[in-house]
Amino acid sequence: MDTSASHDVTRLLADWANGDEGALDKLTPVVYRELRRLAASYLRRERQGHTLQPTALVHEAYIRLVNQKNPTWQNRSHFFGVAARMMRQILVDHARRRHAGKRAGASVSLEAARFQLESTGKLIALDAGLTALENIDARKSRAIELRYFGGLSMEEVAQALNVSVVTVRRDLRMAEAWLQREMRDEQVPRDA
Amino acid sequence: MTPERWAQIEELFHSAAACDSANRDRLMEEFCNGDAGLRQEVETLLSSGQCAGENLLAALTGSLDAITFPLVGQTISHYRILEGLGGGGMGLVYRAEDVRLGRHVALKFLPEESTKDPVALGRFEREARSASALEHLNICPIYEFGEHAGQPFIVMPLLEGETLRETLCSSSERKSPLELTRLLDLALQITDGLDAAHRQGIIHRDIKPANIFISSHGQAKILDFGLAKLSRSETEDSVPERDGPLPEVGGTTREGAPAETLDPRLSRIGVAIGTAGYMSPEQARGEKLDSRTDLFSFGLVLYEMATGHSAFQANTGPTLQHAILYETPTSIRQINPSLPRRLEAIVQKALEKDRSARYQSAAHLYADLQSVKRQVQSRALMRRWIPAAVLFVLALGIAAYWLVNLRTSTARILPQINFRQLTFNSPDNPVTSGALSPNGRYVAYVDKRGIHVKDVETGMAQVAAQPLELNKGDVKWEIVSAGWFPDNQRFLVNAHPAREIPEVWSSQTTSIWIFSRIGQSPRKLRDHAVAFSVSPDASLIAFGAKAGQLGEHELWLVQPDGHQAHRLFYSDGASAIDAFQWSPNGQSVLYAQVDSAGTSFLTRDINGGPPTTVLTPYETKQIRGDLSGRQFGTSCNWLPDGRLIYQAADPHSESTASQDTCNFRTLRLDARTGKPIEKSKRLTNWTGFCFSNANATADGQRLGFLRSSSPHGTAYVADLENGETSVRNARHFTLEEWDEYIGDWTPDSRTAIIGVTRSASYGLYKQSLQSDTPEPIVADVTGGALSESILSPDAKWILALIWPVSADGSTANPTFTQTMMRIPVSGGPPQPVFRVVRAGPYSCARAPSKLCVLPEQTADHKQLVVTAFDPMQGRGRELIRFDLARDIDLNVENLLCVLSPDGTRLALARSDEGPIEIWSLRGPSRLTTLARGVQKIWNMGWAADGKGLFVGQHVQDGTELLHIDLHGKIIRLWKSLGPRCFGVPSPDGKHLAIYDWQRSANMWTMENF
Repeated sequence: MDTSASHDVTRLLADWANGDEGALDKLTPVVYRELRRLAASYLRRERQGHTLQPTALVHEAYIRLVNQKNPTWQNRSHFFGVAARMMRQILVDHARRRHAGKRAGASVSLEAARFQLESTGKLIALDAGLTALENIDARKSRAIELRYFGGLSMEEVAQALNVSVVTVRRDLRMAEAWLQREMRDEQVPRDA
Repeated sequence: MTPERWAQIEELFHSAAACDSANRDRLMEEFCNGDAGLRQEVETLLSSGQCAGENLLAALTGSLDAITFPLVGQTISHYRILEGLGGGGMGLVYRAEDVRLGRHVALKFLPEESTKDPVALGRFEREARSASALEHLNICPIYEFGEHAGQPFIVMPLLEGETLRETLCSSSERKSPLELTRLLDLALQITDGLDAAHRQGIIHRDIKPANIFISSHGQAKILDFGLAKLSRSETEDSVPERDGPLPEVGGTTREGAPAETLDPRLSRIGVAIGTAGYMSPEQARGEKLDSRTDLFSFGLVLYEMATGHSAFQANTGPTLQHAILYETPTSIRQINPSLPRRLEAIVQKALEKDRSARYQSAAHLYADLQSVKRQVQSRALMRRWIPAAVLFVLALGIAAYWLVNLRTSTARILPQINFRQLTFNSPDNPVTSGALSPNGRYVAYVDKRGIHVKDVETGMAQVAAQPLELNKGDVKWEIVSAGWFPDNQRFLVNAHPAREIPEVWSSQTTSIWIFSRIGQSPRKLRDHAVAFSVSPDASLIAFGAKAGQLGEHELWLVQPDGHQAHRLFYSDGASAIDAFQWSPNGQSVLYAQVDSAGTSFLTRDINGGPPTTVLTPYETKQIRGDLSGRQFGTSCNWLPDGRLIYQAADPHSESTASQDTCNFRTLRLDARTGKPIEKSKRLTNWTGFCFSNANATADGQRLGFLRSSSPHGTAYVADLENGETSVRNARHFTLEEWDEYIGDWTPDSRTAIIGVTRSASYGLYKQSLQSDTPEPIVADVTGGALSESILSPDAKWILALIWPVSADGSTANPTFTQTMMRIPVSGGPPQPVFRVVRAGPYSCARAPSKLCVLPEQTADHKQLVVTAFDPMQGRGRELIRFDLARDIDLNVENLLCVLSPDGTRLALARSDEGPIEIWSLRGPSRLTTLARGVQKIWNMGWAADGKGLFVGQHVQDGTELLHIDLHGKIIRLWKSLGPRCFGVPSPDGKHLAIYDWQRSANMWTMENF
């Protein structure tokens, strides 16, 4: 691994933690690239799990990108915050492309198309729901993103959001119920 | 939505979620205070809150699957792709339905980068085909090869379980070692699979945990034979350079090392990374590979199974490569001291950098692993044996079963198959037949002492009263395994004439008796009949009659009171009917048909109609040969859940005649038609014994069976008294289930030299009388069996002849030259001393004499020449020459000529019919002639005091060990049922090592199968 990239990310995370908003702009593409690369290679080579698990990807990206000699939990939670957002982006982009591709009448069977639509449709609906939730209650949307796309534990989510674990638990419960309802409502017109 | 409204909703949501439904209504009422919108909002949230988390996760996983597995939902050839299973092995794997055969299979696509080279692809196909053609239990077969949009794929059976890598990582992020019995069981299976492939000249080249699949039944299957070569070129292979970009993963290793620093061959093809950790040194150097590369890689896997750590902890490519080439890994016992020393030695030997120092074949590795398993098992048995009355549960070979849902990777533990020993008869009094009552509470069994009924729960056993009309000793009883009545009180017993051996039992001389558990006297049901089973409603008893060459020709039914006997069906003279039993619902029947082709199992409707063959002679041929038809038939049982349970011998055990290995298999039958509806499955994973008398309880939850170990030689040590003429206090000296004999004793009489024969491996050990663990002198002797193994007079060497071993595992008649070997007692490899032809058993005197003698037959068979020899100098002078009256071939018959302990006399038997002559070497002159009436001498040795001989004599039903003093007085010391009993006294005359055969047999049950 290119150690300078590792230093970069570590430094950028520290800068960002110290209030340098510009650091985030520099950090994002590095993390994004790494996640994309990992996601792509997941499709090709054997990995730990059987299916593509975003949480595993984020953890692996962290190990690869952040200097492990002197990791701090702040670095870690910040990184995961960024990476979870990126992961969501990558997956939704991927789903959208497929969604579009299949609709454009690529040569697949009807049942294959239906399967693709159904499953990618769900992810797109989830993404839309999260965006809607962000407008109502940004912290809850964030909690979902960290937990589901970043694979963080309750404690890690709590650290990243600077709230108590009890609050995280309540946030997640409420957000999950809300999203579930939104997705159910969303999906019907979308696929009909 | 305003933040205030949202806060309101959230507050009510959490409060309402926290109360029960009764209070919830009241709470809503109060809180909303007429705000119907608020109430509806919260109620819909509460209702969708159920499982919301799981649904979100499912949405995520489902969409990821769609991305990862683009072919889901499509139909390729005649395979409908159902879902993605993973990216295991080397490409994407799908679950698919074979629409033609209606079965589910796994479709594995080969990674793109490996399929651009048609030459390599062709070779892969050839090799994978030949590997899958092995049809070995521990090699995953390949059903078909196909191609979709230029992407080749293979079709394999859909396996339920997980790869060894997942097993090793199952508990946490960290790897955890496997429990020892499970480790050994899996290691043996994997080695067996490797052995089968290597024998066909097929090398795997990529043995690693991810390529070993553990089915949910605990069966190991090696995946991807032939695949590895696709992605690697070896020096001898002229594979054209592949063009196109490198796979992305090849550019940078996972460990972060630039790939260029690795061997260029490896970096180019991209396998180096995950797999580099399991490369052999010759692989790392890019040398030509042979089967020994797999043994190194497997050594690394074994290391990981045993310790939970990788042998080479280095995590970057170049350091890893360096480690593989030059570093010795930390010993496994340093990491886990509870591991057996022998396992440590095995791992070390497998990991030898120099392949000529490594295990040379998987078979050798297999044999050594088995010895560890025996050791572990016998220790476990010893520990548990002590509280004698306590029944124990022994998990044999099969530890925890893991069933993994491959999609979600969540592990679930399947119940363990539990084994429980019901009877505890010693090898001297084996159980010969038995049956478990339908409620599982009682076991009826027969041994030398008669018929017993034991209450499995209380352990109380009683001996059933003999019928008054029979004298004890008139009959041999045989419990009918499907012969318990549903009332759990009565059971069927066949009475065979005492003089007949089981192999010739027939209905002609057999009577059927009904015994009662609750004390009623036994009642004879019928003569000239052999009982098979009781119908599920107890209304009928099935029996065979009209004995022919192959067995019974007629199948009859009779009421338990003996009335209404009628013939149900019969076979022609060229076949026989056996082991008839009803299906659980009583509507169909199962029976064995024996003809010249072998034994088949058939089912048919009770009301007639043509029979269906469920097991063909080909399938039943796998059953151990020495089980007679009747015993074999009783190993097959139709379970209430519709499965047929039966035993099959492992292919492996056929090649090594000394080891019997059978395992239970199941085959699901259609309850109505009796036709098989799925492929048979192996249930157990044992070595060293076979079963008969299998019968299930009425609920099908438990199976009772008679488990018999394979007969093998074993060493006893007894105390010698009265001038070596009586033995007392004989005890097992060794506990391993291998053929073991004591060849000699050290001069201090404290340590015995033990020769061990494993399935294909021979070794010498020494064990002190005070110890229960043998220490190796030399293990893993190749080239043949070691015979005699006696000490040289100076006690520095063990002298052994190497006997060539034929392919079937038996020692060949040495019509060709044998080699006298000397093996240092302190340990070390055998060294050849000189060659011998037509040699008889040789012998050495004890110090201070230095004499050893070797009797050899002249080429014309007319004389026996006795030559002195020395372990260092080799052959010495000729001592004496005897004429042989009869034309005897020493290669076939025994001519015995042994030297007395003081080195002054020879005991000679010119023929195995005696007599025994004692000759003085001074003169030489004949001193006396003994034992004119002996029958068949097969072995002879001097008593320690030089005043008599220990002679092994074949008798009608076994071997007797005799003491014959120099006046000709004969005393019987020991009787063996085996063919090869002999005795070796310790130099002080206080102990006698006795070689005898044993075969133990006891009733067991298993549950959760």
